[in-house]
Amino acid sequence: MKDCAVRRAALNRMNDLGLYLHVPFCLRKCGYCSFYSEAGRRDSSRWLAAVIRQLRQFFSPRPLTSIFFGGGTPTMLPPEVLRDLLAECRQHFFCAEEAEISLEANPATVDLSALQTLRQAGFNRLSLGVQSLHDTELRRLGRPHTAAEAAQTAKLAQQAGFANLNIDLMCGLPDQTLQSWSETLTQALALRPQHLSIYELTVEEGTPFAQQQKEGKLLLPDEDAALRMLETARQMTEEAGFHRYEISNYALPGCECRHNINYWRNSDYIGIGPGAVSCLNGMRKSAVADAVEFCSRIENGQEVWEHEECLEPEAAFRETVIMGLRMTEGLALDELRRRFSIDAAAYYGETLARLTKQGLLELADGRLRLTAQGLLLANPVMAELV
Amino acid sequence: MKNIRNFSVIAHIDHGKSTLSDRLIQLCGVVTAREFHDQLLDNMDIERERGITIKSQTVRLPYKAKDGQMYVLNLVDTPGHVDFSYEVSRALSACEGALLLVDAAQGVEAQTLANLYLAMENDLEIIPVINKIDLPAAEPEKTANEITQDLGLSAETIQKCSAKTGLGVEDILEAIVTHLPPPQGDPEGQLQALIFDAKYDPYRGTVISVRIVNGTLRPGDTIVFMHNGSEYKVEEVGWFQITRNQKDILSAGEVGYVIAGIKTLSDAKPGDTITRKDDPCTTALPGFKEVQQVVFSSIYPISADDYEELAAALEKLQLNDASLTFQKDSSAALGFGFRCGFLGLLHLEVIQERIEREFDISIILTVPSVRYRITLQSGVVQMIDNPSYFPDPSTIEQVEEPFIKANILIPERYMGGLMNLCVEKRGENITYNYPTTGRIELHCELPLAEVIYDFYDKLKSLTQGYGSFDYQLLDYRISDLVKLDILVNSERVDALSQLTHRVRARERGLAACERLQEEIPRQMFKIAIQASIGGSVVARTNISALRKDVTAKCYGGDISRKRKLLEKQKAGKKRMKTVGNVDIPQSAFLSVLKSEH
Ligand SMILES: Nc1nc2c(ncn2[C@@H]2O[C@H](COP(=O)(O)OP(=O)(O)OP(=O)(O)O)[C@@H](O)[C@H]2O)c(=O)[nH]1
Ligand code: SF4
Ligand SMILES: [Mg+2]
Repeated sequence: MKDCAVRRAALNRMNDLGLYLHVPFCLRKCGYCSFYSEAGRRDSSRWLAAVIRQLRQFFSPRPLTSIFFGGGTPTMLPPEVLRDLLAECRQHFFCAEEAEISLEANPATVDLSALQTLRQAGFNRLSLGVQSLHDTELRRLGRPHTAAEAAQTAKLAQQAGFANLNIDLMCGLPDQTLQSWSETLTQALALRPQHLSIYELTVEEGTPFAQQQKEGKLLLPDEDAALRMLETARQMTEEAGFHRYEISNYALPGCECRHNINYWRNSDYIGIGPGAVSCLNGMRKSAVADAVEFCSRIENGQEVWEHEECLEPEAAFRETVIMGLRMTEGLALDELRRRFSIDAAAYYGETLARLTKQGLLELADGRLRLTAQGLLLANPVMAELV
Repeated sequence: MKNIRNFSVIAHIDHGKSTLSDRLIQLCGVVTAREFHDQLLDNMDIERERGITIKSQTVRLPYKAKDGQMYVLNLVDTPGHVDFSYEVSRALSACEGALLLVDAAQGVEAQTLANLYLAMENDLEIIPVINKIDLPAAEPEKTANEITQDLGLSAETIQKCSAKTGLGVEDILEAIVTHLPPPQGDPEGQLQALIFDAKYDPYRGTVISVRIVNGTLRPGDTIVFMHNGSEYKVEEVGWFQITRNQKDILSAGEVGYVIAGIKTLSDAKPGDTITRKDDPCTTALPGFKEVQQVVFSSIYPISADDYEELAAALEKLQLNDASLTFQKDSSAALGFGFRCGFLGLLHLEVIQERIEREFDISIILTVPSVRYRITLQSGVVQMIDNPSYFPDPSTIEQVEEPFIKANILIPERYMGGLMNLCVEKRGENITYNYPTTGRIELHCELPLAEVIYDFYDKLKSLTQGYGSFDYQLLDYRISDLVKLDILVNSERVDALSQLTHRVRARERGLAACERLQEEIPRQMFKIAIQASIGGSVVARTNISALRKDVTAKCYGGDISRKRKLLEKQKAGKKRMKTVGNVDIPQSAFLSVLKSEH
């Protein structure tokens, strides 16, 4: 039925290979952040040498379809360093012609010339950590920039030639109102990004926010208010021509993030740097999340892996299902069958029927996906399928 | 034998029995400084965590007295809580004497009296010991006064010490040697050994604690349990000295242990007499009084697969704790389980925890109940402790509930509050007297059901910890009993039903609904929780539907962790019981058992 090109494209997609490089430095730590990164300017030369050595330990005959420099705050490094690192990546691996090459940046850590250098170096997508366009909210989050700086950096990025710009926003923040949230959305949309990541604040264990919550000092919008914020986001982005393709991600058609889609398809990726995770041929490994330890292990020729995991085929199937359900297009059952030789409908039987009846899941056109209701209750649904 | 002294340490809860035992053990050099830690004899996790003794423990102390002779002191540390007085009475049966501790700051309390009576029933010689004299609030003179006036013990024998600092403890050792009598009995006679405790050891079978009354016992002897005639060959005998200390012989007057490859748990029964097959004695020693279980609750395994294991666990616990009873039970909501009898709520909690810890089985308990006497119109009389068997109210002629006689000791200033509490708890025939100035001893007849519910907690908080109480079962009295059902989304949860006096029904029902509301996680639909009596709803709460539960971020670095969280959520759901379409966690069932927070 499908023609050859389409099928080849589908196969190619399945065989995407991403490269993630973790830059574990930030100006200072935000109150809600649980990522591994270290605050303050520090000498990155040792880290640089180590990641290059680690990079060279990987070998893949398959071309990279995406590269993502994330963090942390990659733009804490001078643009030339980032340029050279990217060149190193492209030299060591095959890199597909049309590869998506993303860079995460924080407002006020880059100026126009830096952005130009980075664009010329080959980065074709910029992901900007804006979070809010209200200064009070930014301060409460512990972000080291203002709303004006964020907007300014977005404009400079476009000026420097980034035609694929993502803006990260957060809702459900302390003291945030529906009013302030729709203002943030309006202003963000006015900056004409191609992509929006909209996260509801999650209080993660071990963060200052978690501590504040325990002490009763973190007052978050209630469930009702948070629901309305999410609904507002969905509506406003839709009106601006975006479509929601993942629980927290919205894009103009064709601007979906290929690198992240690769995660949700549970495909292969290489992770470089302290704390980064690699997943190749079903084997998942994560590197020690400590820059000093990471460097000394690399220098001494030791393994950097802290955790390794290789799931049984059925467990890998279930994991692929729950990851895939994060995307609004859901999962193609025939693709799953090809990949795992498991028929999802038969495998989940009763459970699937019940969740469908409850209006949380739907099975249509050979695809299994969460309904609008299911997207809000993804955890309990996934907990039944995992 | 004249150099042996067998004695128990008895007292009200927390008066320092285990701490004094520590000091005595140290002074006699049974453990090295390195091996020592506080409350050495409280070796169960649950004892250490709660800081209370639950099981009596025996330890044999060698002591060189001032007269230059070596003595053997067999010390038994006992629990102080009222629920474990059966442990105390068994320990006392192995002794000739007792140290009766009294906290110098608290004075004589209800369990001081109760334990003194137990010791007197066993004809024991008593040495009163005033403990904690190091405390700033200590009033040793006042306490001595209470001991002589209130307890009627002689002033000459009173010892004063601080078990904490060790002050005065050496004098206690001397007093034990000089005041307590040695055991009597005939080492040449036919073997009579009293089983006063037992414990299951997975490697060795049952380990029996014995007091040899007459005769001797050696490895290789063939012994007979007199209650059922079962025979075993003795593998090992010895003394308890923190660990088991293997010996060649136990003889009359001594306390020790016997291992004989006993795998049939029901053979070794505390209270039974052991004799030798080749030269048996003619009569068994007087055994123990049967204990009266007062609280009943059903125990169900969370996972139906654990039923057999639960049965085995209960059997092993019963060996170590003869006051526990159990028989099969079943529930529509929870499947197969056991109806168990306990000596009180703390006893119930201890058994619950021991099953979970020592046997690693997750369980659910049903609401505790006392045993009611129900006379049907047909004239048939039934004893009912399980709401499931509560007869159709229209067939009932009358219901009677057990009453107890409470003996309460409090400082005078709390009298008003206590009177109110007794009245609120449906108390009858309240009388009181002043045993010594400033203190009141109050007697009151109360429904047992009120006492097990929250009487003790209320008394403690009302008197800021200074009130103490003890009780005995009295009789049965007419009651207006109803069966309170709990419905979750209109489905009755049989395991949550309870029997209660009509005047309590609404408040209990509401309390249960409120706790379930707190403990049942929100689900994808609204849940109605109702309490009802015979179909009419007396209390209700709701749990609103869960509208949002979604992880915002999940990228390459998070996949494993997020998946594990979901797996945990899934495992948690598996551990819940589904009634209708509602998942109810173990904690919800347990929360309903608890009295007010
Ligand atoms: N200040 C002081 N505290 C003491 C003394 N003796 C015991 N205590 C404290 O009193 C508390 C109770 O002591 P335990 O020895 O556990 O009391 P117990 O009588 O064995 O308690 P149960 O076994 O639960 O009945 C502990 O906190 C001890 O440290 C003493 O002489 N002086
Ligand atoms: S900038 Fe990003 S990575 Fe750095 S602390 Fe803030 S949230 Fe975390
Ligand atoms: Mg104790």
